Amino acid sequence: MSAERIDYFFSFRSPYSYLSGPRAFALPERFDVELAFRGVIPMAMRGQSVPRAKRLHTLRDVAREARRLGMPFGPVHDPIGRGALRCLAVGEHALDVGRAREFVLEASRGIWAEAIDVATDEGLRRVCERAGLGWAACSAAVADGDLRARVEKNTDELIERGHWGVPVFAFRDELFWGQDRIEDLETALANAGLARR
Amino acid sequence: MSVRALLARRVIPSAIISASRIDRPARARAALRRRLGRPGHVELYFAFDDPCSAVAVLDLVERLRGRDVTLELLPVVERGIPGDPAREQKREYALTDARRLAARSGLVLGRHAPLQPEAATFLAKRAAGAAEPERFCLEALRRVWFDGDAALDEGRFADLAAGQPAPDPAAVRRNERRMRRRGPYDTPAAWLHGRWYFAHDRLVQIGERLDELGWSAR
Repeated sequence: MSAERIDYFFSFRSPYSYLSGPRAFALPERFDVELAFRGVIPMAMRGQSVPRAKRLHTLRDVAREARRLGMPFGPVHDPIGRGALRCLAVGEHALDVGRAREFVLEASRGIWAEAIDVATDEGLRRVCERAGLGWAACSAAVADGDLRARVEKNTDELIERGHWGVPVFAFRDELFWGQDRIEDLETALANAGLARR
Repeated sequence: MSVRALLARRVIPSAIISASRIDRPARARAALRRRLGRPGHVELYFAFDDPCSAVAVLDLVERLRGRDVTLELLPVVERGIPGDPAREQKREYALTDARRLAARSGLVLGRHAPLQPEAATFLAKRAAGAAEPERFCLEALRRVWFDGDAALDEGRFADLAAGQPAPDPAAVRRNERRMRRRGPYDTPAAWLHGRWYFAHDRLVQIGERLDELGWSAR
């Protein structure tokens, strides 16, 4: 395990988080770092308003960026509320069993490219099983108060670090906000001498 | 799930995404415009107190050189999400972000603390009525963001203002209204032929879009 770590603050309700996923989880392959997945409660569920102009722009901008990145986008099913919270709980369980990468990528693709409703057992089960997770354990995770507390701790920590949105990458004392700032993070990692040879 | 929830969560957002991929009318309009001998046009809404605006303006002016495209620089003061609880945090973070973006172009940001919008309002009023807005804006933004931490006072910009028309506060308000009509809610925002981008985030994409519409660099 690397001595260096990147905290990766992620929301299942954020399409920009979805876009960042494959490149974020690939970072430890290219740099000598550990990537720590930190699922957070969506901004709109934390009392921050998202105006219509921003919602419209986000969908259009993500559609363009997804095309550039060669990722599917749409049809979508907004998981705000129960769906997002269930994914966050299962995300913590997936971390415990070493399948966070698989679950985060499958769940976010299901939400943002296949319109899977993760608020339903049927939808959540589908993405869990695709990620190699057993449904019984995932179903139990959804109701696990300890896992929910971990999500709240992640969310509080993002706020304490002075940030509001996602995805955010925290490396040493620097924060990098946005899927389009991974290249700046990579520069910081390279400057820190962490590029794998 | 109720019909209303289904519409809000799935049908409407998915339809917006599908509609955003319809590009033929925009390309046809651009082709007609070129046949009529008219240049492409980019509207750039920016703020003097925003370091990311400084990076975007400096970059776009260079990036559009050699293309048959006009760049309209439109200074604004009022923008952002009303009542945004993260407004001050965003202002702080913009400085960090702009420093990294500037470094990509080999530039070093000179200022180390954020500015309040009111501090630079006089520049927006000057720029909105300037006879040569590009020259004025480029030089003023360089002085504000790349020349150190000095306080902004009108005296530092007196040479730029010499011989210029009187400041035009109404023009700044017009720019703000026009920006909201086009869709952007914050700066820097580039609007080009029906689409808008956060300019500092999408500088490469703006160039690519102009290429798609037939306004490549010669």
